[in-house]
Amino acid sequence: MLLREMQRQKGRTAQIIALAVLACGLVAAGVGLGFLIREVGYEVTPLVVVAVDLAALLIFTIMVSSTLARAAQVLYLRDDLDLLLSSPLPPGRILAVRFAGIAFSVTLFWLVLAGGLLAPIAVIAAPALLAVLLVLLALGLVASAVGLLLTTLLFRLIGPRRTRTLAQVLSALIGASIFLSTQLPNILRGHGGDYSRWGWLRPYFTGEAHLDLPPHADLLARAAVGQPVPLLLVLAVSLGFFMLVTQLLGRQFARDAASAVGSDPARKASRRTAGAFAAGAFAATLCKELRLLMRDIALFSQVLLRVLYMLPLAFVFVRNAGAGDSMLLPAAAAAMSVMAGQLSSSFSWITVSAEDAPDLLVASPASMAVITRAKLWAALIPTAALVAIPLLAVGVFAPLIALVSAVGCFASAWACGVVNIWHQRPGRRSDFRRRGNVNWLVALAILGISGLIGGATFLAASGMTWAIVPAVLAAVLTLAMRRSDQQILRTLRDEA
Amino acid sequence: MTDALHLSGLTKAFGDKRAVDNLDLTVRSGELYALLGPNGAGKTTTLRMVAGLLAPTSGAISVFGVDAVKDPAAAKQIIAWAPDEPMLYDRLSPMEYLEFVAGLWGVDGKTARKRAEELLKWLDLWDERAQRCEGFSRGMKQKTALAGALIHDPKLLMLDEPLTGLDAAMARQVKDVLQERVRQGGTVILTTHILEVAERMADRIGIIQHGRLLAEGSLEDLRAQGGGGSATLEDLFLRLTGQAAIA
Repeated sequence: MLLREMQRQKGRTAQIIALAVLACGLVAAGVGLGFLIREVGYEVTPLVVVAVDLAALLIFTIMVSSTLARAAQVLYLRDDLDLLLSSPLPPGRILAVRFAGIAFSVTLFWLVLAGGLLAPIAVIAAPALLAVLLVLLALGLVASAVGLLLTTLLFRLIGPRRTRTLAQVLSALIGASIFLSTQLPNILRGHGGDYSRWGWLRPYFTGEAHLDLPPHADLLARAAVGQPVPLLLVLAVSLGFFMLVTQLLGRQFARDAASAVGSDPARKASRRTAGAFAAGAFAATLCKELRLLMRDIALFSQVLLRVLYMLPLAFVFVRNAGAGDSMLLPAAAAAMSVMAGQLSSSFSWITVSAEDAPDLLVASPASMAVITRAKLWAALIPTAALVAIPLLAVGVFAPLIALVSAVGCFASAWACGVVNIWHQRPGRRSDFRRRGNVNWLVALAILGISGLIGGATFLAASGMTWAIVPAVLAAVLTLAMRRSDQQILRTLRDEA
Repeated sequence: MTDALHLSGLTKAFGDKRAVDNLDLTVRSGELYALLGPNGAGKTTTLRMVAGLLAPTSGAISVFGVDAVKDPAAAKQIIAWAPDEPMLYDRLSPMEYLEFVAGLWGVDGKTARKRAEELLKWLDLWDERAQRCEGFSRGMKQKTALAGALIHDPKLLMLDEPLTGLDAAMARQVKDVLQERVRQGGTVILTTHILEVAERMADRIGIIQHGRLLAEGSLEDLRAQGGGGSATLEDLFLRLTGQAAIA
């Protein structure tokens, strides 16, 4: 019990340390900016207006996606809504409070972030800039209202289950598209013109180019610097819009929430209803795991995120393969093998540790070794599918390096998968994001193994025989993590 | 005739506590045997040991003459175990679930497919065969799990509280399935808290408490052991387990 509590505490301690570091960084940046503003002052130039509007758009988009996910969750997972709606309180008031809670939760992160930065600026130079916090609050209200409108509309059109699915996928896509847009200059760099990160802005700073802004485009910027009329206008409009939406949607949302109870989230037919049955424990387990992986929406959105994050890497990989760049290509090959290990680790955690019916497997006469092998392959197949496309593309330009990369990817995926099997602990699919039951030593070992294989892939792709050294170290580390079937069973029994 | 199940001196200890204590029990082939006992009496632990989910601390388990401790795979091949909480996968349809279970028990694809169709029709699940289990009612989940337990045509079917949470119609259907199974020559062991079910359906009844067998036999045998008369099973159960005063 004490050990478990300590493990839990370790996670919290890490979070507290990360937050403390972030807060220190923000305060330090705020102090620097505060002195800068005291020296040079600030004014609402067209460039500042564009920067503020773009930042507001970015934050607004993230807030809307957060609201979508949260509102769909409230509808779908119920939480305490049934209890609240069955109480004598008017549904409109309950839902107004619930909506306000959603608005607050999606805004809180930004308020804390901006607060850390703005507090020193306000003390050192410009207290009026604290108005940024009120603008963020206004953005949160509008974003929540839009998110709630979208959720209700989606609910009407496609039902609660698909709304939840779409909300999760949309959240992943929005997050990834923001990341990709920040990587665009890196991807385009070297293809003619000045595509360095901020180079295109230079003419606007030097006055060589002029920005023509539409009317009232500076409203947010003026509100953010504390000008009373724009600030009051922004606050009044956002609050009015939020209250209007809350009033309009209150009853509708209550009806939707009530219908979500009987909406039967699972009356969803599987596509395959006929055909031959898979024969044997291996084939049956493999089929079952692949079906469950493909139908796991939370996993799908997580993997979608990772794949989208891999896109810039894959782009660099393919571009360098075409250009014959001697250093970047092996580096990208190494990164691919590390990524393959991480993906396989995620999938194998799902197939092995997050088994829904472990008793069924134990009660069957099938050999555990056969079942485990099928589960490992079920983790390797989607990993292979994900890394196959960039590997095939590289194969067109540099077949040997593609072959080395493929070997590295397979070795990394296999080793990370078997380590997860050897150190499996019962978990739930819904815990996939946190995977709180994974031992930190195992997580470190998986990172080390995939890193060493990545190093070996880099050296081998560079034509160096030294590749054997990290490869052997990876093999030794993998074997060091090995546990017998008896040890695995003992752990599973202890956990049970 | 070989006994379907023979337990001899079966013991399971969790630390100092003996959940099953030197239990001797025999279930004959082709009978429906009801295992009764108060909560924590050791019913589920006993069945979990027979199913191979728990290793006994000591004692022997023989299933149709197969030593389940020494050769668990051979014993599991002829056993089916259905716990009170159905062992299902929410995102699989009943047909896919049966495909998976049949694969685990090594039933060949063609036979499994045919048997799955028969079972789903028999249990009124045919129209839902392609729908995912996650939205099923408890009764439908129980029936899907029961179909999974029967897909490999087990000689010994063990069910832990199979009627818990079922409405009258579903419960009747499950009872019919179990009785039909016995008529076809199968052996069924079930645990239940619904004493009327045991009274009406079981050929023999075993009552255990503190991991030990208190009484065993047909209802008449139990009446004789309980002092004769026309006592109901509920009266006998409460009297034998010493809960009459509490009740």
